[in-house]
Amino acid sequence: MRNRAFCAAFLFATFPMLDVPYRVALPGYRYEFPRDFFAHSSFQTEWWYTTGNVKTPDGRAFGFELTFFRQAVSRDESKHDAWDVKDLYLAHLALSDLDGGRFYQSERVNRTGPGIAGVSAQDGKVWNGNWFALWSKDGTQQLRAQNDDFQFAFSLKSEKLPVIHGENGISQKSEGVGRASHYFSQTRLVTNGTIELKGKRHTVSGLSWMDHEFFTHQLAADQVGWDWFSIQLEDGTELMFFILRRRDGSIDPYSAGTYVDASGKSTHLSAADFSLTPEGAVWKSTATGTTYPIQWRLVVPKLDVALEARTRLPQQELMGGTRLAPSYWEGAVEFTGLRANTSLRGSGYLEMTGYNHPIQLIK
Amino acid sequence: MTGNAKLFWRLMMRPLAREPVRLGLAVIAVALGVAVVLAIDLAGTAATGSFHSSLETLASNYNLEVTATGGVPEQIVGQLATLPFNFVLSPRMEDVAVVSETKKTVVLLGLDLINEANILQTESRKLETGNPYAGEDLSKGFFADDSIWAGSGLGRKKGQQVSLIVGDREKTFTVRGVYDDKNQPAIIMDIAAAQRALGRTEKVDRILMRVPDGQNVDSWAKQIASILPPGMEVRAVGTSTEENRKMLAAFRWNLKLLSYIALIVGAFLIYNTISVSVVRRRAEIGIARALGANRAEILFAFVGEAAALGIIGAAIGVPLGRIMAAGAVKLMGTTVNALYVSSRPGPIQLGFTSVLTAIAVGIGVAVVAAYAPAREAAQVTPVEAMARGRREFIVRVHKTRDFTIALVLAGAAWASAKAPAVGGKPLFGYFATLLVIAAGTLAIPAAVSTVIRASSRFLKKSGVAALLASRSLLGSLRRTSVLVGALATAVAMMTAVGIMVGSFRITVIQWMEGEVPADFYVRPAGNPSVDRHPTISPELADKFAALPGVEAVDRLRAYEISYDGVPTTIAAADLHGTQKRGRTDFFSGRPSEDVLEELRTGNSVVVSEPFTYKHGVKRGDTISLKLGTSLASFRIADVYYDYGSERGFVLMDRSVMKKYLPDDAPSNLAVYVTNGADPRRVREEIEQAARDYRVLIFSNGDLRHEAIKIFDKTFAITYALEAIAVLVAIMGVAGALLALVIDRKRELGLLRFLGATGAQIRRMILAEAALLGLLANVAGLLLGFALSLILIFVINKQSFGWTIRFHWPVAVLSGAISLIFAATVLAAFYPARIAMRLNPVEVVHEE
Repeated sequence: MRNRAFCAAFLFATFPMLDVPYRVALPGYRYEFPRDFFAHSSFQTEWWYTTGNVKTPDGRAFGFELTFFRQAVSRDESKHDAWDVKDLYLAHLALSDLDGGRFYQSERVNRTGPGIAGVSAQDGKVWNGNWFALWSKDGTQQLRAQNDDFQFAFSLKSEKLPVIHGENGISQKSEGVGRASHYFSQTRLVTNGTIELKGKRHTVSGLSWMDHEFFTHQLAADQVGWDWFSIQLEDGTELMFFILRRRDGSIDPYSAGTYVDASGKSTHLSAADFSLTPEGAVWKSTATGTTYPIQWRLVVPKLDVALEARTRLPQQELMGGTRLAPSYWEGAVEFTGLRANTSLRGSGYLEMTGYNHPIQLIK
Repeated sequence: MTGNAKLFWRLMMRPLAREPVRLGLAVIAVALGVAVVLAIDLAGTAATGSFHSSLETLASNYNLEVTATGGVPEQIVGQLATLPFNFVLSPRMEDVAVVSETKKTVVLLGLDLINEANILQTESRKLETGNPYAGEDLSKGFFADDSIWAGSGLGRKKGQQVSLIVGDREKTFTVRGVYDDKNQPAIIMDIAAAQRALGRTEKVDRILMRVPDGQNVDSWAKQIASILPPGMEVRAVGTSTEENRKMLAAFRWNLKLLSYIALIVGAFLIYNTISVSVVRRRAEIGIARALGANRAEILFAFVGEAAALGIIGAAIGVPLGRIMAAGAVKLMGTTVNALYVSSRPGPIQLGFTSVLTAIAVGIGVAVVAAYAPAREAAQVTPVEAMARGRREFIVRVHKTRDFTIALVLAGAAWASAKAPAVGGKPLFGYFATLLVIAAGTLAIPAAVSTVIRASSRFLKKSGVAALLASRSLLGSLRRTSVLVGALATAVAMMTAVGIMVGSFRITVIQWMEGEVPADFYVRPAGNPSVDRHPTISPELADKFAALPGVEAVDRLRAYEISYDGVPTTIAAADLHGTQKRGRTDFFSGRPSEDVLEELRTGNSVVVSEPFTYKHGVKRGDTISLKLGTSLASFRIADVYYDYGSERGFVLMDRSVMKKYLPDDAPSNLAVYVTNGADPRRVREEIEQAARDYRVLIFSNGDLRHEAIKIFDKTFAITYALEAIAVLVAIMGVAGALLALVIDRKRELGLLRFLGATGAQIRRMILAEAALLGLLANVAGLLLGFALSLILIFVINKQSFGWTIRFHWPVAVLSGAISLIFAATVLAAFYPARIAMRLNPVEVVHEE
């Protein structure tokens, strides 16, 4: 899963959760596109999450991240002025200059307001201020964002159909009916565009990954954090894994993954099907004092895959600038290993949460 | 000690110590003059220096603002937020609320509290202020309509309830948190709650923007303006403060000049004091000259004496001015708030420059005033000075020559008064007043001698004391002339300002007859002011209209705009009742009905007289106004007299305004009672209908009374300045008479020796004072009349653009003049007593 829930969960832990029953993710959900690219307002939490690895023609490598969160705050029917807060929108933006050794990041939070942030199926747009993802009729996606340090504009074209994670339309996260999300990904988005960093323009191309997930209260109280991987391998296949860490240090059995073959066919992987273990290098943040394992070993016996995950840039830590969200690590990683004794390489993204403080969840 | 200094010490400083009272008066005169100048300078800066200071403080991190008449449509916020530029945006609701309990007005600020977290993110990285939401229980009522965050200056604690009057509603709010407001009391709400509290949904009052650092703000302003609808105003933050300052410039300037009157009167006094010194030390001058002192040294000695007086006066004047500034700032604040812009006086800051200027002016005036007598002292030849038996200084008075010059100056004054304003300032008008004063002063010797000679027959009959008094005055014509001149100048200024204010007052009262025709006026209790127009709930007007005994209800809606860089009020009214009963005076002289009909049918407006003056427009011209999102053109159908405010006023029919700003809420209501209905009953009905609203109801009489009260308050500072000038002049008379007595010891002693009684002597001195007072008052009245014409028709017109009709404020003037006359005579009692007590034997023995 893309359990970025923690951000939203932490942020909105302090905001009112009314007793209005939001819809929960239940088995049997039928996906429909392009409808499901956009908002599902009856669910409380929803996000659109794009990460990617791109390079300039002469080989300079960048990682990027652009995330939009929607969190329902109120469904009070009596309030219908533009500024009344029904949903809050949080967004994260990051650029990893892998060759320059620098990491740039921004965060913003907005209410819907009079067009400040939102999701519009009609316009094919998800936006927060001047950061946006825009779908055109032909299915390509425009991604644009900027801050004081950099700006980028990408065009994303999917090579595969959206992949639905979990089983029977839901990705179960913990014990209990509805403790799940509807979760799908676009696992191979061919990306072209420009990055302007410190006034210098770079033309880049590469691969991106987009997650979209919506749910209401999916985690259990003893789940303190998680590690999530997106892996785009050079043989045209992709892997996604998340492990949920519990308070006692054990791995939750609801941890899971998905394998996508070159044709786009996906296979659900349960916790028993793989092992993910920190191994080797750790990085300690001077800003927050948190230590993150930045080298991992992944074994999937079922697929005969063994991979090593490493990053070229250890300091890809996002610090909650609004001080409403906690700090976490999310960054570009590289994978090397073997598949059926053939060497295999790939790139992707790694997210590590709950290393600073256990994620506090709301009831 | 050098020779010069020694001479100065022996000749000048030692004798000074022998006459403490006379010198004390001169010093006090300078001190008062310096104090008034300094006080007005300081108070002017403080009273006009800060407009909406809380709002500006809370906007300090931004450099651009977007505004629009009637508010910025909120969609503009979304439009700006999605532009591909790295702006920081802060949409705001900005108004005031009245704390029910204390009746204090505080700024009410509606912020997008969610968005503020983004702004704090950038700030906190720099300032490390930490999480402002830390410890706040955001889950409980963060978005509730009754949530407020109170500035620490309000003295409220978290969790307390505060009752606030906003517009015409009173509501109870809960303090969710307290923030450090750095002494700018304000209340912060979430923007959604603020919109509802203010009854202005779908609009925001202002969008503040911070464009990227180090970039040109004006070019950004132009670029943004080109994207937005034409009615939007995009400009640098602080422009309105600048505009307000500009608007107040004329007011401050006029007050500043007025503050110099006391100093000018003080100058006469210094002149007189130095003249006396010269006369008194004639023999010493002769000796000094005979012993080798040259003319320059003598000149320096007397000018130095004046400078010493100036320094001591200034030294006392500076702290005195600082004290007076505290009072002046209150008076000026009242005027500024009533006529121009709502503002809170800032702190009085005694700057180095102000102090230095005040001291320089004090010394400068003293030196300039002393120059003429000092030069005369220098020109005395030693032989002449030391000649025996010629103790009296024969002053050369060229009264015919002076009178001729006076006539020339008066002619120049006439021409100067005809000249137009220079850069919006009536420079020639002020020059004309100076010329008139100069002409008056020069004409006084001729006038005094003519009058005294002409009245000698009458004086003879009044007894020997009066005759002697008149002879004595005539004998020292020059000194008499200076005294009469000083007092006359003060009286003239007082008369002139008195006539102007009195005329203005009567003009306003007459104007109100036509402008205030309704029986009742209603306005919101939430602190309306000259530049703030809180509204009344629209349904209240309908309720009133439906009451029995109410014939009609006129709704007036006012907005603040900036027209051509000048803060202006624009208003729309029904004008039904006004049409029937009012009789607004228009420049064209057309009946109100015709003009109002024109307003209803076409895209026409009427503008106030100060508006035409400020913008150089006239009837028939076309003006463009930014209304809502549009930029619309209107023809000026007519110009009306307006004495309600010094700001420009544009008035249109409500139906026309609603095309651009479809907001039904009125700022004011005028209620007309049906003929024959009992107004008291109707008032009770109105009060009953408005019981759930916080509105103020004024009867016609109340409103007029209040208007005149405000009028009088606004001129309080003018009167205070006049009073000080007159006080200085009276002190001058006392001092001069004292000098006269001491100088004429010999003569008075002889009179006593020859059998005059003490009472006769006293009578003589008092008669001299009375004669001086009478002459000065008459001369002052005449001069004052001339000056008042300049004030009313030149200076006022060119500074403010008001047409004032001339009236003699007989009661006020006669009262003031009698008071001055009495004070002059009373001031003579002390010198008279000294004269009485002279020992004739001793005096004559001295001979």
